[in-house]
Amino acid sequence: MTNDPRDRASDTPRDAQSGGGTRKAIYAAGGGLALIALATAAVQLDVVPRWLIGAGSSIEETAAATTPDDQFTPPARDAIPDSPFGDAVRRGEAIFTNTATNAGDHVGNGLSCSNCHLDGGRHPLSAPMWAAWVTYPKYRAKNDQINTMEDRVMGCFTYSMNAQYSPAGGPPPHGDDIYRDLESYFFWLASKAPTNVSLDGIGFGKVPKPEGGYDLARGADVFAANCAVCHGEDGQGQRDINGDYTFPPLWGPDSYNWGAGMSRIDTAAAFIKNNMPLSQPGSLTDQEAWDVAAYLDSHERPRDPRQTGTIEENRLANHDGDEILYGQVVNGVLLGQGTGPSPARAATMATPSAAEPQN
Amino acid sequence: MAHKSDPKRPAEIYEPYEEQAGVPLPVIWIAIALAFWGVLMLYDTGDSVRVSLNDRAEDSEALANVTPDEGASLFEANCATCHQPDGEGLRDAVPPLAGSEVVAAGPGIIARILLRGIDGPLTVADATYDGHMPSFASALSDAEIARLASYVTTRWANGPDGAASSADDVTDLRGEVADLGSFAGGMELARLIPSLPPQPPMPAPSAAPRDDADVLQLVFAGRDEVWSCASCHGDLGQGDETTPRLAGLPAAYITKQLHDFREGTRVNESMHLVASGLTKGEMTALGTYFATLRVPSNAGAVLSGDLARGEELALQGDWSIGVPACFTCHGASGFGVAPGFPGLAAQHAPYTAAQLANWAGGERHNDPLGLMAEISGALSTQDRRAVADYLATRPPVPAVAATMTRMETDDDQ
Ligand code: HEC
Ligand code: HEC
Ligand code: HEC
Repeated sequence: MTNDPRDRASDTPRDAQSGGGTRKAIYAAGGGLALIALATAAVQLDVVPRWLIGAGSSIEETAAATTPDDQFTPPARDAIPDSPFGDAVRRGEAIFTNTATNAGDHVGNGLSCSNCHLDGGRHPLSAPMWAAWVTYPKYRAKNDQINTMEDRVMGCFTYSMNAQYSPAGGPPPHGDDIYRDLESYFFWLASKAPTNVSLDGIGFGKVPKPEGGYDLARGADVFAANCAVCHGEDGQGQRDINGDYTFPPLWGPDSYNWGAGMSRIDTAAAFIKNNMPLSQPGSLTDQEAWDVAAYLDSHERPRDPRQTGTIEENRLANHDGDEILYGQVVNGVLLGQGTGPSPARAATMATPSAAEPQN
Repeated sequence: MAHKSDPKRPAEIYEPYEEQAGVPLPVIWIAIALAFWGVLMLYDTGDSVRVSLNDRAEDSEALANVTPDEGASLFEANCATCHQPDGEGLRDAVPPLAGSEVVAAGPGIIARILLRGIDGPLTVADATYDGHMPSFASALSDAEIARLASYVTTRWANGPDGAASSADDVTDLRGEVADLGSFAGGMELARLIPSLPPQPPMPAPSAAPRDDADVLQLVFAGRDEVWSCASCHGDLGQGDETTPRLAGLPAAYITKQLHDFREGTRVNESMHLVASGLTKGEMTALGTYFATLRVPSNAGAVLSGDLARGEELALQGDWSIGVPACFTCHGASGFGVAPGFPGLAAQHAPYTAAQLANWAGGERHNDPLGLMAEISGALSTQDRRAVADYLATRPPVPAVAATMTRMETDDDQ
């Protein structure tokens, strides 16, 4: 292919014409580009009305996206006021997250409130304190009376914190500062919440009992596969280099007692399904949650402090109709006899005789 | 001729009219518009640069202004996870500072404790503890240690107020205690503080197992295609940049990683070669060897991460993105929980950030239940840098069996 002058002579007219077409195209494109550049500059400098570029609506959309439903959000940690009230809130938070030290006279196991009420009582579906606060006082069948928040927290100390094996041998008495501080914390968490309503995220949620019930052997497998890495093969939790529990014990002497809500399989299943394994809520099926909840609640734990007569009498009085293995024979052993205190708790108990399980 | 019908042809030919046209008009339009846009943008960014410069100036002014409270924020950042914000400690685990006879002894003693750490049984305020107080010698400056010592004494000891300790005092102390290792429990503290209540005896040093020659050989000399660990991980297992610190990681965790490198379930070419040449027994022995090394930190915040955000992720987590506090699994202060949860404190920030990115991207997938994959995926790149930087500023794990080695030297003296 060469530039033969003779070819060129005959080509030129047609080429010039098509060159004109190209030129128009270049003009159009150039004009377009120039307009785009100017428009970009205008938008960047904010001289264009927002409605023209639809910015207003997109801002609303992002705002809506950060609060998906009507989930209540408690105030940020650093918003606790600097005032006598704020001091009480801080003390309440310290009791809540480090119960064994800050209310240690009344804690008879290795747990803190925040072991089950995650994120310091803020997390939805791990019985958040902002949701609980706005539902009290209320009637509870558990003790057949109107309960104030103080009554309710007293129950937590009695059962979930197993106060019977604490130095004081029981929960903080009515009117104790521990209740003042905890209630200040809850009240502050519920800042701006409506009252006497059931807020989204209250309690642990509900997981329907599977048609075929539950199975302890399957539960053991679910436990080994999904829980043991944190709570230990033996369910006794794991401690850090200073002996502090990093992962709480799920049964045995340092766990909640037979009177605690978590010893009921339906409650434990709901907590597990909606919160465990930590950082992977919802990853177990309903069936797996029930199986593993039943498995961990089929182990012995501190006795029900309400028991005065036999286990069977206490079962009829306090556990009848519950989804609980208390008073039942599992693997040939009657459950509910109690473990007695761990050696560390026994050493600090005021009345060591209470350590003896009474059946 | 073929080229007559070739549509591309015209462009290759010199066009006579182009001579007169000069630069085409649209090109000029574009140039003007771009120049206009460029100038505006320069003006605009210049503005935000000025704003951010102002911000930074205000920040450093604010920093200068908080000096009176600096002791409080140092305490909050370095001591509160264990001794608690109110200094009440943790039942059965960490002694209180409030009401402590040790704290009453004054800032000089506290500075010594911060430089050396404490191991072994200790009786404080009527209770006995047997824990491990870390050494802050490699994590805090002389000035910071002095300020903390003064702060702790002023807040919790009823002693004279002016009992401050100065950065120069700490500099001198540093030299004095450099080779002493950690305090051997309350017994050794009582030698410096006559007013301490009776202290529990140190347990008799069990004959510390001697590191066997084969392990030392592997660590320092290597064997065939097993290059010496020290050539990459450092003589003390301290690591650097993207080569991890091994000193103080749980033995079982180290053994598991070596196993995973060999099987290819954790991917790294050098470590695959190294691990493939090791027997099971050697992996276990190497795990024990590195787990018991107590080594000062040589890590630092080098990724320009937001340290406040990093601290928040480590201590509180960010539940709005489904991330629990790192320390709920990795232990208070990020010292790890044996066997499965590695310590993160004093780990090199580039290594930590790289591992988090690997999990997020699926390159690392040997974590139980995919716990780290989920968490890493939820963190933004900035979050990963922030938390990696924060963790790098933490004091190193007070690895446990070092107590035994140190007590032997004590006995020799
Ligand atoms: C990882 C947890 C941890 C951290 C962080 C920590 N300590 Fe300790 N500290 C301990 C433990 C455990 C002991 C008891 C050691 C023993 O039993 O041998 C202790 C003992 C002490 C003692 C002597 C006993 C007493 O209670 O008076 C002082 C003083 C002290 N720490 C101060 C500090 C200060 C100041 C900081 C912050 C710079 C700090 N600690 C950070 C765990 C920690
Ligand atoms: C050629 C350099 C090199 C040598 C030699 C080497 N390593 Fe490594 N090692 C690395 C690097 C790089 C990594 C980080 C791998 C990654 O990014 O996943 C690593 C990671 C590790 C890890 C994982 C640590 C963690 O925190 O998860 C262990 C354990 C380890 N090495 C042990 C050893 C032992 C034991 C030896 C000697 C037998 C050794 N390494 C020799 C470069 C080396
Ligand atoms: C639910 C428990 C859990 C939480 C929460 C958690 N981790 Fe982990 N992390 C683990 C486990 C388990 C491993 C060990 C993985 C393995 O065996 O390979 C690990 C390993 C790591 C490692 C690898 C260490 C090494 O030496 O290679 C890093 C880095 C890490 N985590 C960072 C974090 C950070 C940062 C956070 C907080 C944002 C966090 N983790 C929160 C469970 C957790």
